[in-house]
Amino acid sequence: MAPRIQSRRLSNALLPYLTSSQSSSTSSISSTCPSSKLFSRQFSSTAASQTRLRRHMFQWLSTEGAALKHHIPGETNYLPSRPDRDGNSNESSRPFPGNRNFVSESVLSEDLRNEVYVRVVEKKKSLRAVSVELGIDMKRIAAVVRLVEMERRQRAQGKPLSLPYARAVHEMIPTTALAQEGERQPYHEPINDLPAHPSTGAQIFYPVPESRSFTRVDAGRVFSGAPTLEKAVADKISHPSDLVDEIIENPNSIEWVGKGEKARQVLQPADVRIPHPQLIKLEIDRKAFPNERRAVTQRHAERLEKQEAAEQQRRERAQARREKSIQHVEPEGSRFDYRIQDAKFTRETVGADGRAPWAPGRRYGVPADDRKRGMVKIPTRVEA
Amino acid sequence: MRNRASTSLSKGKIRQSWSKYNLYNLSRFRTPATGNRTFFQQKWTAKAVSRAYHGEQVREGQWKRMFSKRIRSVIPMNTADLAADDGSKESAGRGSGLNEGSGRSRSSRPIPYTQMAFAPLERRLDVAIFRALFASSTRQARQFVIHGAVTVNGQKMRHPSYLLNPGDLFQVEPDRVMYATGAPKTAFERRESRQLKQKSADAEAEAETKPEATEKDEKENARDSLRALMSQAKTIMSTDKDVLPAKKKQELRGFQKAVRRVLSRSDTSTVLTDSLEAQFSELTLLLKAKRAEKKPAKESKKEAKEEETSAATTKSEETTSGALSEAFQAAAEGGKVDTSELTDEEFDILKRALTQMRDNPIDHSKPYATPWRPREYMSAFAFIPRYLEVNQNICAAVYLRHPVARPGSAEVPTPFGETISTPAYGWYLKRRW
Amino acid sequence: MVLRIRLARFGNKHTPFYNIVVAQARSARGAKPVEVIGTYNPIPKKPTNLYDDSTHVRPYKEIALDRARAKYWLGVGAQPSDPVWKLMSMAGLVEQKPTTFHKA
Repeated sequence: MAPRIQSRRLSNALLPYLTSSQSSSTSSISSTCPSSKLFSRQFSSTAASQTRLRRHMFQWLSTEGAALKHHIPGETNYLPSRPDRDGNSNESSRPFPGNRNFVSESVLSEDLRNEVYVRVVEKKKSLRAVSVELGIDMKRIAAVVRLVEMERRQRAQGKPLSLPYARAVHEMIPTTALAQEGERQPYHEPINDLPAHPSTGAQIFYPVPESRSFTRVDAGRVFSGAPTLEKAVADKISHPSDLVDEIIENPNSIEWVGKGEKARQVLQPADVRIPHPQLIKLEIDRKAFPNERRAVTQRHAERLEKQEAAEQQRRERAQARREKSIQHVEPEGSRFDYRIQDAKFTRETVGADGRAPWAPGRRYGVPADDRKRGMVKIPTRVEA
Repeated sequence: MRNRASTSLSKGKIRQSWSKYNLYNLSRFRTPATGNRTFFQQKWTAKAVSRAYHGEQVREGQWKRMFSKRIRSVIPMNTADLAADDGSKESAGRGSGLNEGSGRSRSSRPIPYTQMAFAPLERRLDVAIFRALFASSTRQARQFVIHGAVTVNGQKMRHPSYLLNPGDLFQVEPDRVMYATGAPKTAFERRESRQLKQKSADAEAEAETKPEATEKDEKENARDSLRALMSQAKTIMSTDKDVLPAKKKQELRGFQKAVRRVLSRSDTSTVLTDSLEAQFSELTLLLKAKRAEKKPAKESKKEAKEEETSAATTKSEETTSGALSEAFQAAAEGGKVDTSELTDEEFDILKRALTQMRDNPIDHSKPYATPWRPREYMSAFAFIPRYLEVNQNICAAVYLRHPVARPGSAEVPTPFGETISTPAYGWYLKRRW
Repeated sequence: MVLRIRLARFGNKHTPFYNIVVAQARSARGAKPVEVIGTYNPIPKKPTNLYDDSTHVRPYKEIALDRARAKYWLGVGAQPSDPVWKLMSMAGLVEQKPTTFHKA
C-alpha cells in the first residue's frame, strides 16, 4: 500500500465544495508526508529499489508536486516546464512540458453557450451568421445548440446533472467568456480554416510565361490535372471569389476531369473552399467603397441571405426526396410500423452479373467476409 | 484483457491516466538520448515510449491496421489577404512573387505533422471519453463503455473501440463521471455510508410497524439540515469578509461544530434529497418574502414573517417542505441566528449557500466523497481539445471533426515532443509485417 | 412450374435478413433466384430522434421493394407466399388476404 497522504481536510469535507478561497486554503495544508510507516517496514518483501523510487515520488509530491494537488479557480494548474536557456519556464497553457506544440485551448463558457442557443433558436439567426458574430466554428455552433437543447430537456425532466463537476472543470481550464454589453466579443477560434487537400501534396513543376497571371484558380486546375482555362472564360473571372455564387447555387456545376474510377472534381481555389466565402466579397467591397459602410454591409447581408436561401432550398429538396421514397405504414393490431422504401433492382444498380457490391439486398455467389480476421465487426455508425 | 497499464515507477512510462504516479512519471520524463544509438534503435524506443501512452489498450496489430500515413491539416485563412490578391501577385515573376523580401512577412510556423501520428486513436470512444474529462483514465473510460454507462447518439454502445464519426454525440451517466473525477471517500465517510445502508435496511423492516416515529425523525432531521444551511451561509460570509470580530468567529465555530455533530450522527441528507427541488423553492420563496417586507416596516416584520411562514405551512402541512419551513421559523425564533438582522447582501449569500446545498448535497449513498470535490491532481491533466465540444452539466460531448494539425500546433494531445513523435511516425511508415 | 415471390433468408444466427425474390417454386431457398426484387429486415428498429419524447414511439421494420418489377411479376402470374403477401398488401400492391377467423 502506498503511504496515504493524510487527509487533514475532514473538517472541510462536510462543507460543500466551494468556489472561492476554500480550495486555495486547503492547498496550503497539503501533506506533510512521508509518514513514519515508510521507515518501519522490516517485514516487507518488496524490492528495496522500488521503495527508494516511491520515497522520491512522495518527496516530490510533497514539495514540487504539492501545488498541483488542488487547483486555483480561474487558473490552469499544469506541470511547469523545465526552464529553457533564457531561464523562463512559466507556460501556463501547456499541459505537457515536453510538448511545445500542444496548447490547452479555451472552451466556451456557460454564458456564451447559452447566448449561442438564444441567438440560434430563439432569435432564429442562421448558424453562419452566429458563427461570424461570435467567432465560433459552425460545427461547434450546431453542437452547442444540440447540447444545450438536451440539457434543458434533462433539467425539465428532473434528471440528475453534474453541476459541481461542471463548475470545477470550468475553473480548471481556460474559458472564452461572453463579452459585456457594448464590448466586442473576442473570437473563440479561427473560423476560416482551409483543409489541406490531398492532391496538393504533390510537388509539381509547371512553367508559366511571366507575362501571364497565374491565379489560385489556375493552381487548383494544375493540381487536379485539368487543362488550362480558355482565355474567354478566364477573363470573366476577375477574382477567384466570383466562382462562389455559382457553386453555392449549384454544387454540381464544378467541372470533372479524368475517366472512370479516376474521375475527380477540379480542385477549387481557397476562396470557395473556406467555410465563410462570403467574407471575402465583404472585404473587397470594403476596400473598394471605404466611405459607403452602410451600403457595403447591406450588400453583404443580401448575399448572405441569398446564400442561406439556396442552402435551405437544397436541404428541403433533399429531405422531400428522401421522404417521398419512403412510405410509412402503420398496420392495425400490429406492434410495429413498416417503412417501405423504393428500390431499383435493375442492371445498373446490381451490375451485369447481379453481384455488384453496391447493389441493394444480400448477394448470391459472393463469399461473406463478415467473420474474417481484420474485418470490422462492430457498428461503424450510429444513426442520430 | 490483461491490464499491463500499471504505472510503475521503475519503468516510468506515461499513461493516459490522472494518477499521481503518472504525474510523477510525467514530471521526470526525459527525451531518450540518441547519441550512440542506431536509427533503428531510436525509432524502436520512440515507438515503445509513445505507444505506452497512445492506445496501450489497443493491440499492436489492431493499431497498425488503423495507422494512416495521411495527416489532416488546416491553414487558417485570412479573408483580407484573400481579398487583396487573386494569387497572381504571389506567383508573379519567377513563381514566388516579385518583392521577395515582403512576401515572407507572414509568419510561417511549421506544421507539426508528426505530432499527429496517433490521431486515428483519438477517434476511439474510450479515448474520446477520457479526453472529454469524463473518466480519470482511458482504462476507466473503457470500463464505463463495457458496463453500459455510455450512449452514442442516444443508443447504448458497448464497444470501446467504436470509432466516432464527426457529429456523433456521446453521453456518460453523470453519476459515473462524478465518481471518476471526484475525490474518493475517506474511511470516515465509508463508515457513514455503511451505517446509512444498514439503517435504511432496518427502516424498511420497521416501516410497517411504526410510521409515526419516522415522521417525527424527519421533522427533526429537517431542522438539523436547516441548521447546516445557516452555518454554511455563515461560513461563506466569514470567508468573504477580511476581518472578523473574535467573538463572532468563536460563535461561528461553535455553530459549525454543532452542525457537524448533528450531521455526522444522523442521515440528514436523505431528507434533503427526498424533494430537494420543492424544499429549495420553498426556502427561496421564504427568503424573498422576508426581503420584501423588510423595506416597508422594520418593527412589524417579525409578525408579518410569522404570518407568511404560517401561510406557507398551511399550504403544505404534511409535506417535508412544510416541516422545513416550520423549522426555519423555529430556528429563527430560537435565537441561534437572528434572520431579521441579515442585510440584503447576506440574504444573497444565504441564497447562494442554499443553491450550493441543492446542487452539491451531502449524500452518503453516493460512491464518491460528498459534497463532491475534484480529485487530487485532476487540474494537472485538465484540458479539452478543440475537436470535442463538451457539456459538463449533462456529461455529454460531440465529436465535431477529426483532429487536425495547424501551423504551430497539433490537436492530438501527446506528452512527447517532435524528437519522439517523428521517429515513432517513421516506425509505422515502414511496413514490417 | 410455378413462379413464386418469396423470402430468401440471409444474415447470421439470430440476425435474420431476407431478400424478396422471384424464384421457381421447387428451387432451394438459397439457390440463385430468377430475380431479386426487394429486401425485408424483420428486426425492429427504434427511432432515435433525440429531440423526440421517446414515450410513444413505435419500433419499425424496414422493407425495400422495387414496385415496378413486383407489379410486372404479379401481372405474369407469380404467386406471393403468405409472408410476402402480407408485405405487399402493406405496400398496396395486392388486396389484403381475408383472415379465416375474426377476433372477438
